[in-house]
Amino acid sequence: MKSSALVPEVAQQVAGIAQAVPAPALELRGISKAYGKVVASDNVDLTINPGEIHGLLGENGAGKSTLMKILLGLEKPDSGIIRRQGADVRIANPQDARKHGIDMVHQHFSLIGPMAVWENVILGDTGAVNRSAACEQVENVAMRYGLPIDPLARVDALSAGERQRVELIKCLRREPEFLVLDEPTSVLTQEESEELFDVLRRMVQSENRAVILISHKLAEITAATDSITVLRKGRVVFHQLTSKTTHQELARQMVGRDVSLLADAAAVGVLPVAGTSDADAEPRRDFSGLPPALGLRELTVVQDGATLLDRFSLDVAPGEIVGLYGVEGNGQSVLGDVLSGLVMPTSGSVAVGGDVVALERADALTRAGIGIVPEDRHRSGVILALSVAENLAMKSLGSVSGKFLLSHRAMRENAQRLMAEYSITAPSPDAPVGRLSGGNQQRLVLARELSNEPRVLVVAQPTQGLDIGAIEDMYGRIRAVASQGIGVLLISTELEEIMTLASRVAVISSGILSGVLAAEDVTAERLGMMVGGAS
Amino acid sequence: MDASKNLAEHGSADPNRRRELLAGLKPSRSTALITLVTAASVLLALALSLGLIAWTGGSAWESVKALYTGSMASKAAWSSTLLYVAPLLLVAIGSCVSMRGGVFNIGQEGQVLIGALAGSWVALRLALPGMSLMIATLVAATVAGALWAGLSSLMYRLRGVNIVVSTLLMTFIAIQVVGFAVSKDWWLQASRIGDSVVESQSNQLPADAQVGSFGEYPNIQINGGLIIAVLLAIGIAVLVSRSRWGLQLKMMGLSPIAAKHAGVKTGRLSAVALGISGATAGLAGAILVTSPVSTNRLQPGVSNGIGWDGLLIVLVARFNPLVAIPVALLFGVLRAGGGFLASTGVPSSLVDVMKALLVLAFVVPPAVVQLAQQRRKRVKTPRTKTPVIKNPTPEGAVA
Amino acid sequence: MTSADDLSTILSSGMRLTAPLAFAACGEYLAHRAGAINISVEGMMLGAAFGSVAAASVTGSATTGLVAGALVGLLIAMIHGNLVHRAHINTFVVGLVLNALVLGLTTFLIAINTFASHQVSKIEIPLLSDLPLIGEALFTGRWPMYLLLLFIPLTWWLVERSRWGLELRAVGEDPIAADLTGIEVNKRRRQALMWCGLLAGLGGAYLAVGEVGSFNQNMTDGRGYIVIAAVIFGGWRLGRTILGCILFGLADAMRLALPAMGLTLDSNLLIATPYLLAILVMLMFASSKREPRSLGQPFQRTI
Repeated sequence: MKSSALVPEVAQQVAGIAQAVPAPALELRGISKAYGKVVASDNVDLTINPGEIHGLLGENGAGKSTLMKILLGLEKPDSGIIRRQGADVRIANPQDARKHGIDMVHQHFSLIGPMAVWENVILGDTGAVNRSAACEQVENVAMRYGLPIDPLARVDALSAGERQRVELIKCLRREPEFLVLDEPTSVLTQEESEELFDVLRRMVQSENRAVILISHKLAEITAATDSITVLRKGRVVFHQLTSKTTHQELARQMVGRDVSLLADAAAVGVLPVAGTSDADAEPRRDFSGLPPALGLRELTVVQDGATLLDRFSLDVAPGEIVGLYGVEGNGQSVLGDVLSGLVMPTSGSVAVGGDVVALERADALTRAGIGIVPEDRHRSGVILALSVAENLAMKSLGSVSGKFLLSHRAMRENAQRLMAEYSITAPSPDAPVGRLSGGNQQRLVLARELSNEPRVLVVAQPTQGLDIGAIEDMYGRIRAVASQGIGVLLISTELEEIMTLASRVAVISSGILSGVLAAEDVTAERLGMMVGGAS
Repeated sequence: MDASKNLAEHGSADPNRRRELLAGLKPSRSTALITLVTAASVLLALALSLGLIAWTGGSAWESVKALYTGSMASKAAWSSTLLYVAPLLLVAIGSCVSMRGGVFNIGQEGQVLIGALAGSWVALRLALPGMSLMIATLVAATVAGALWAGLSSLMYRLRGVNIVVSTLLMTFIAIQVVGFAVSKDWWLQASRIGDSVVESQSNQLPADAQVGSFGEYPNIQINGGLIIAVLLAIGIAVLVSRSRWGLQLKMMGLSPIAAKHAGVKTGRLSAVALGISGATAGLAGAILVTSPVSTNRLQPGVSNGIGWDGLLIVLVARFNPLVAIPVALLFGVLRAGGGFLASTGVPSSLVDVMKALLVLAFVVPPAVVQLAQQRRKRVKTPRTKTPVIKNPTPEGAVA
Repeated sequence: MTSADDLSTILSSGMRLTAPLAFAACGEYLAHRAGAINISVEGMMLGAAFGSVAAASVTGSATTGLVAGALVGLLIAMIHGNLVHRAHINTFVVGLVLNALVLGLTTFLIAINTFASHQVSKIEIPLLSDLPLIGEALFTGRWPMYLLLLFIPLTWWLVERSRWGLELRAVGEDPIAADLTGIEVNKRRRQALMWCGLLAGLGGAYLAVGEVGSFNQNMTDGRGYIVIAAVIFGGWRLGRTILGCILFGLADAMRLALPAMGLTLDSNLLIATPYLLAILVMLMFASSKREPRSLGQPFQRTI
């Protein structure tokens, strides 16, 4: 069906002439949404036509998810309207959305493992449970779309691809006009992904439904969609028929033109973000010839049958800042957990200064000299109910205690010293960390990790949730750390952050290292391609 | 990228929302409110208890007087109160340790019994001279209590058996083990004198094994067990609040993940914490059979709810071993006074009602205040769906 | 007495001792399936036993007593449910305190009240009750015992076949997913506890106005904990849970009957049997796929 490919203006003209062509099935007009100061959606227009698969492309924080949440009634927009068949509709909750034929395929969390497929499918309905009718319905939907599944199977026993089918059946049996899929292939194999897109294509063509496909994978989005909208920083920056665009153009649009500017600036040492560059102030010491501060070799993590990290190898030299970039959920979190000692890798090794770390020992990583500022500091970075002094001493209790007793004086002195050195503002060293602002908590974690004199510092999403001032301060401190000869691995989903700090950029996609570039070689296109898993 | 994770990310990306989150943690207002509500609840608990007496035709005033007479009015009364305090406090302080580590041991009653059994066996069967018999008795009880609790740790380590459930079930096994021991003449049953019927109890423990007392009637009698208990309470207070180990324990109780990240061996630490809890309970069992609080015989009912009460004391004392001292004293007063209640026609089980109501008065207010605050916040801020399971328990603990 | 008579006696006394356990086990089983483990089932049974005797004495009707007992169980369950699945206090803390409260309160009240004895009537099914061995055990008994024929299948149907049960199981296995599907997790758990309270109450009441006819201090004597042991023993399947109850009921009956027959099977060992078996089963099938995955885990959305 080619008619879907009509551009909106043409569609409107045609609509004036013939009744046969309806108004765009679904329109979002001027949708804006801000969370505090963060603008997640900025005056977004989006038109979805029946019979098309519409790709929505963008990086983390580009506003894809917010937009879909608004469409599904999970979030209320600050302004803007949603129209269906030309009429304004109000969508206050997922039930409303369902009434208007909008439904979403959830990826994780929504299937109950120990229950049967048919039970999962009817969960959330009302009325009596009719097992045979439910099974029949599952089989009917399965047959209609070519999604073979045994309705009596336990979900636990199914593969990722089969679970996806169950999710899809659960949605499709409600006969939605508009189906939203958010990164549907993140847990699927190549083959399973292709099958999924075949099904979507059949559904769209033979039943005139519409699919909104959210993805950051260029290959699949160009292969599967009819038209593509690219979002960046909450705005629509690009819209085109899929047939009229290329990977290169999409990569450029997704990442943004300013990347090359940033890279140029980084190359000559003029960085657009404030914060002193120690690299310029004092001559850089030469750390070449030393073994890498951090050496990751073939790290593999398999959890519940899913390969989260796949033979991941990366070196960080002393004094170097390596940025690890990628879209969220591509293995960064589990890498952070491995380096925090919370997850044992299935295989592979971690070496510090050339020596392999015995990971099975509880404090091996700290002893080996890995400091880590974790992604979610409330989970493993700090204990909110403990005092500033206790949190600062947590990883080096030996230094503030005798064989048995803690020295509260030593702890307080240690805290006062670090608080001054790292500008941690707290009512007192005895105040619980929960009373500190996010920036101060983050500096506290950094102070603690650096006070153990690490050889390598891993910082994951170091500026998430911080305000501008705190961000600049953090950047300055990370640079200062590197200039002391400590290797820094910066894990971030913020490209600007990476480009501001890192001299090399590694890209992770689906748990695989898809490439490493020197900062000056980074172009939007190359980065976009690597992030999209195409190389 | 899944919906809920994304929402969480947005939540944390927003400095305003984070600030709001932190505001909830500021102690000032809510702490004061909790204290106020707790105080009111305690008064309500007392009022309810006295109301119950009045409603059932007794005299509230007479009952209070009887409680006072039995527990505090005379030196003898004080003596009997203090005899109860020792085992209660011992159970409580050990439970403070396990609770602080987030390990939920509710099998103290059984650990007390096993301690009493091991102590009695040593006292009756080992011929050790003088003081060494008493020391051996106490040590054996302590070790036995720790090992009995250790079985639950072992079951958790080997097969992931839930600690709360196993410590609970082990209690009922312990009751039968003691019953078994005192009904078998080849084990610990009292020896037959003439043709008399032999009861299910042991012989009286030899005087050498008994823990001595300072002071005799009519003066205040202070049993060695109390001194041991208070000294241990102070020792454990130092351990949990001043030692390196205590800080690690607290870290594990508050956030097992952060503790593990900081290099704490959480598996081993949980087992040790549970072991300490069992050890003090076992020691309490030895004090029960070796001090004048009992007839110095091992009997099936020798624990008499001391283990359960010790657990309740910790809940009131909010896991603080020093606060447990006055709370244990209060529970001792209720136990000793309870014996005197009957003379007024009010059944002594009234004190059990009072104890339970008191514990509720301490346990419920913080949760209710928090709930009310969450409600208010939910009304103020637009609803967001961020389902996250709150489950701050370490290995070995039930969630 | 012939040995066949002995056996018949043990079987019939075993059935009478099983019935209170079986009622409560139906309730506890359903609560477990929703993830709501609760040791206050002991308090529910004990409170109900007292309530039934008191109500029967006041109204003169044992049947009214039975209903009153179920309602007392329900009341305790609702208190437990609100404290645990609304105010988010640890379920074991609440259970301990409620059990202590009920024990204290019933002991207190029975000491100052005397209640007239009332007992529900016995029925005897003609012909069948004359069957050898099992006749007396299965076909003569107090009539509420036969309510089990209603409540066991009903519990099964509720859990496995009803919409409510489907949602309960979802909540018990994966509260996050259930929440995302729009099921109110804590509400379902409170509802599950209400069923548990009703049935535990019925069990306790059956013990009092059904079998004994009066109330003694702490008359349930840990039967609530045996019920939990039975659910664990049954591996969270209703059929095996009831089987566990029968096993434990028979062990209890043997303890009572053996001395009279001059047999020496240790009574302490027999009393410990349920707990030992439950622990053994947990050790053997620790990684039981059947255990509800969120059993005992509180569910709370952050903000």
